[in-house]
Amino acid sequence: MPKPVLRGLIIVAFFALTAFALVPAFVPRPAFIPGFAPPPDMWPRTVSLVGIALGALALLFAVFRPHPDEAPIETDGSSPARMAGRFAGLMLAFVLFLVAIPLLGFLVSTMMLTLCIVLMTGERGHRIWIALLAFGAPILLQLFFHSALGTQFPKGVLTKPFGF
Amino acid sequence: MLNEILSALVAVATLQNLLIMIAGIWGGVIVGAIPGMTGTMAVTLALPFTFYMDPVPSILLLVALYKGSTYGGSVSAILIKTPGTASAACTALDGYPLAQQGKAGKALNMALYSSVTGDFISNLSLIFFAAPLAVLALRIGPPEFFMLMLFALTTVAGVSGSSLLMGLVSAALGLLLATVGEDMYGSFRFAFTPDMQAGLSIAPVLIGLFALPELIKLVVMRASKQEEAATLGAQHVTRAEFMGSLKTILKGSVIGSVLGAIPGIGPSSAAFFSYGEAQRSSKNGGNFGKGELEGIAASESANNGACGATMIPLLALGVPGDVITGVMLGAFMIQGLTPGPLLFQTNIHEVYMLLIGMLVSSVLLFFAGKATMRMFAKVSHIPPTLLTPLVLLLCIFGIYSIASSPFDVAVLLVMGVVGFGMFLLNIPAAPFLIAFILGPMLEENLRRALAISRGEPSVLLSSPITWVFAALIVFVLILTVRREILKSKTERRVAQ
Repeated sequence: MPKPVLRGLIIVAFFALTAFALVPAFVPRPAFIPGFAPPPDMWPRTVSLVGIALGALALLFAVFRPHPDEAPIETDGSSPARMAGRFAGLMLAFVLFLVAIPLLGFLVSTMMLTLCIVLMTGERGHRIWIALLAFGAPILLQLFFHSALGTQFPKGVLTKPFGF
Repeated sequence: MLNEILSALVAVATLQNLLIMIAGIWGGVIVGAIPGMTGTMAVTLALPFTFYMDPVPSILLLVALYKGSTYGGSVSAILIKTPGTASAACTALDGYPLAQQGKAGKALNMALYSSVTGDFISNLSLIFFAAPLAVLALRIGPPEFFMLMLFALTTVAGVSGSSLLMGLVSAALGLLLATVGEDMYGSFRFAFTPDMQAGLSIAPVLIGLFALPELIKLVVMRASKQEEAATLGAQHVTRAEFMGSLKTILKGSVIGSVLGAIPGIGPSSAAFFSYGEAQRSSKNGGNFGKGELEGIAASESANNGACGATMIPLLALGVPGDVITGVMLGAFMIQGLTPGPLLFQTNIHEVYMLLIGMLVSSVLLFFAGKATMRMFAKVSHIPPTLLTPLVLLLCIFGIYSIASSPFDVAVLLVMGVVGFGMFLLNIPAAPFLIAFILGPMLEENLRRALAISRGEPSVLLSSPITWVFAALIVFVLILTVRREILKSKTERRVAQ
């Protein structure tokens, strides 16, 4: 499917979901509205309906007035499947990071995430810099924010006995 | 008034404020000099640190970062032909050929002189025009404010990205996200989790949207290439060379100041416009693109010339003209200051401090840039594979420290993914952010206007001011659609 058509479909689907499913379910109307004040769902519903109209326009243009090809996105030449795999890996890293905070604490979790991200960028040289960035930078930042700004970073259930 | 100005001058001229501004300018130049790192990123990354500062120093820090990064973009544009920021794209056209001729130092010096001049003139325009505009704005009510914000949003949507339609879609997404949380009458909307009842904070949304997609792009696409950096070589700009470019610098500064004051235009468009104008009117026009100092002067004076001017609509009307001023609007609000006409009545001392601080920062930009040109030239060499993860670390620590909330960190990461998705679909991020920040005010003014008029929508076109804004909105839409049709025809002709 051409990208402009897919884009139009995604836009219409997202705003339609919001207008017809999310707004009725998650924007409750109060029993009493003072004076002539519009209800709380008026604005999100209006924006969603405008969004549907814009998406439909984008879809129409994509189907009936095809533009010349959009500039390709610059990549390292990897296959789409490989890039999708990298994206999935990154999402997994983000989720694991959020899950790890209560278990391993903020410091250890950020160290793991940084190391993971550096390796995911394909960087294999500069080993000392990688180590400094993954292990040294989080310690420095935690010390700075804790001592200078008084931020209390969460300690992990598993790492609490070790002090972080 | 004189007493207030003098007391503001004394308040600004403290060692702490000067150090903050110097740090901001240096930080901005460093970030701006690194390809892929933008002024927006510099300002957004600094935002969490401003939570712990007084209002004026915090805004001065952000302004200094903005100015520094706009100038810093020229460093990598000249040395490695990769503009650090979009507004320095024209600088690369003449800067890199000069660097290849062994005159990189000369090019960097001309960029600095032009940037400082443009910046100073821009600040003067801010001082002279913001207050009168604010006085005018005091006479307008909710319907007029609604139309004004709609105009700003339409303009930003029109000039961001390659399509008006996608700009409007982006703005609609931002408006929708801004509705999350408690509304003006106490109803909770889209509160999927208890954390969402208070709404989404500005900082994680904007930092996630602008800083993280670069990291995700680097991990997923791995398209990072670095050019060989040129050495500085010949350093000085002669008096004759400077005087030869002075007319272009002044013209570029005025172009930057005028275009910067119009919401949605910003430094990049000002630089392109000024470069084109200089090429057309200069007797050296034929040398543009081959290593002409005047080309650098035109581009740099205009892009820095827009910096101060973008603050005019922000301070006077409370309407951000571009993403960076959108971030600054967030910073103002976090500090308990609401930009707009009332700011000139309730916080005039802070306004004077800010204006004086901005003038001082122009002078500091000159000395800070001059003193550390050689050092800044080296930052263009830092590999993005190390730099981008460091940005992620700064984002995570910075966002967590604001409210000690893991939820905000989750919002940061989710917004990064949203920003990446928008990049893949060619949906510009700038209208999203401006709409997210303006959304609550836009809705509040609309609902107030409707409540006052007993639900009559015609209130939105009930006064001459609303008519003027409606006409401006139609004008911007027609102009943008016309531009897109012409561009599309040209592309089709080229394709055939």
